[in-house]
Amino acid sequence: MGVRRVAVTGLGVVSPLGNSLEEFYRSLATACSGVRRLPDEVTLGSGVQVGALVDWDPAMHFKGPEAGSLDRVAQFALTATGQALAASGLDHSVADHNRIGVYWGTGMGGAHTLEGAYQSVYGRNDLRLRPLSMVMAMNNAAGSNVAVKWGLRGPFANFSTACSSSAMAIGEAMHAIRAGRADAMVAGGSEALLTPGMLAAWQALRTLSPIDANDAAASCKPFDKRRGGLVLGEGAAALVLEEESHARARGAPILAFITGYGNTCDAAHMSKPDRDGQVRAMTQALVESGLRPDAIGYINAHGTATIVGDVVECDAIREVFGDAVARIPVSSTKSMHGHLLGGAGAIELAAALMPFTDGVIPPTAHLEQPDPACAVRHVPMKAERGEIPRAVMSNSFAFGGSNVVLIAERA
Amino acid sequence: MDTLSRIKDLAIKELSLDPAKLDPNAPLAGLGVDSLTFIELMFKIEDEFGVKVSDEDLRKIKCLADLERHVAASLQSAGKT
Repeated sequence: MGVRRVAVTGLGVVSPLGNSLEEFYRSLATACSGVRRLPDEVTLGSGVQVGALVDWDPAMHFKGPEAGSLDRVAQFALTATGQALAASGLDHSVADHNRIGVYWGTGMGGAHTLEGAYQSVYGRNDLRLRPLSMVMAMNNAAGSNVAVKWGLRGPFANFSTACSSSAMAIGEAMHAIRAGRADAMVAGGSEALLTPGMLAAWQALRTLSPIDANDAAASCKPFDKRRGGLVLGEGAAALVLEEESHARARGAPILAFITGYGNTCDAAHMSKPDRDGQVRAMTQALVESGLRPDAIGYINAHGTATIVGDVVECDAIREVFGDAVARIPVSSTKSMHGHLLGGAGAIELAAALMPFTDGVIPPTAHLEQPDPACAVRHVPMKAERGEIPRAVMSNSFAFGGSNVVLIAERA
Repeated sequence: MDTLSRIKDLAIKELSLDPAKLDPNAPLAGLGVDSLTFIELMFKIEDEFGVKVSDEDLRKIKCLADLERHVAASLQSAGKT
């Protein structure tokens, strides 16, 4: 028996660039940034100046009291999943829900709920906490709510490996289908941690970009000489993954196949990235896909815009791709949607799949002055249109040294 | 506004209830309000009226009219009416 191929049959997005895949792709194609100056009530004098917020009104997505029992991170998860399932055309009246699972990723889970509880206890000396505080704050709540809402009773897992969480959820979901444990999986991730306490903690790490004095939207500048750090974002992306014959039997739209998944650990440092760990992850993904490096037609880089991180990643890409590096477009879409942390891997895989639609490769916005130390084939400022590539790669390198690389091939 | 009206307004707002269907004597469970959600309404009631509702009292409250009687009694014993 051959390897079970895993198709992507649905995609959904909640992002600072809009709350649908269409709006997300349109913003990427026009290099439109969702980064903004953050309001004072969110920053509370922490020194954080910019972020990428989702334009969000829970009442537009949830009826009655439902939203009140869901942290923002779970609201994003449910909305993105709803879009992905609708796009996949999966018919819930005939699908075997015991064979459909959920693998989700989030770095901090219900951060808003947790912070609200601490505000009550320490800020107002009020110990009357909301009865659902625990089940709203726990990390697996977002994914579990997805399983409950659609009755998905197959394998379940929640991955919490900071910035690689949702990429890992997608890679492991692909393997779960390959191993025959499920016919289909909802896989993705979400993050919603733009709260005063969380921002203060991030600011303490001294890794966030200051505001661009001329244009707040241009504050995140991956690979640029002027880059000053990452910009935090929030949102979610969900994929419906499906075993190929299962998808074909029901005439589902096949957007791509996930064919390679690399997962390594630097085991070196909690916050400083390591070239070797990244090289091993990219190589592992290539080996699993069976593709030669020059089959990759676009790399969506991790590209957080930190001084050290961007250089290390470009070094790693050069080592893996050798001579082909001059021809393979590399961009960081974080320049537009910010860093979605636990949701980054999923939303960036969605961005990486964009060239499969019409050959448009999303750019690195604001990349006016490429840093010579980041020597890869950039897509600066503007999207490029070319041939539809055979395969694309998406990198996710996390605090804690977790490296995840996904490879998708065109349908 | 009387006590019951204030309680009804809070319940409508906090529990997203339909004002037209709100019967103060109807069991809360029948209105689709689960026990944990009801506790959240309790916090708002406590803040609004400056009263305390113990877990023991809470178990005896089955409808909004029960709640009104409890709040009225608490206010009376505290000399607030």
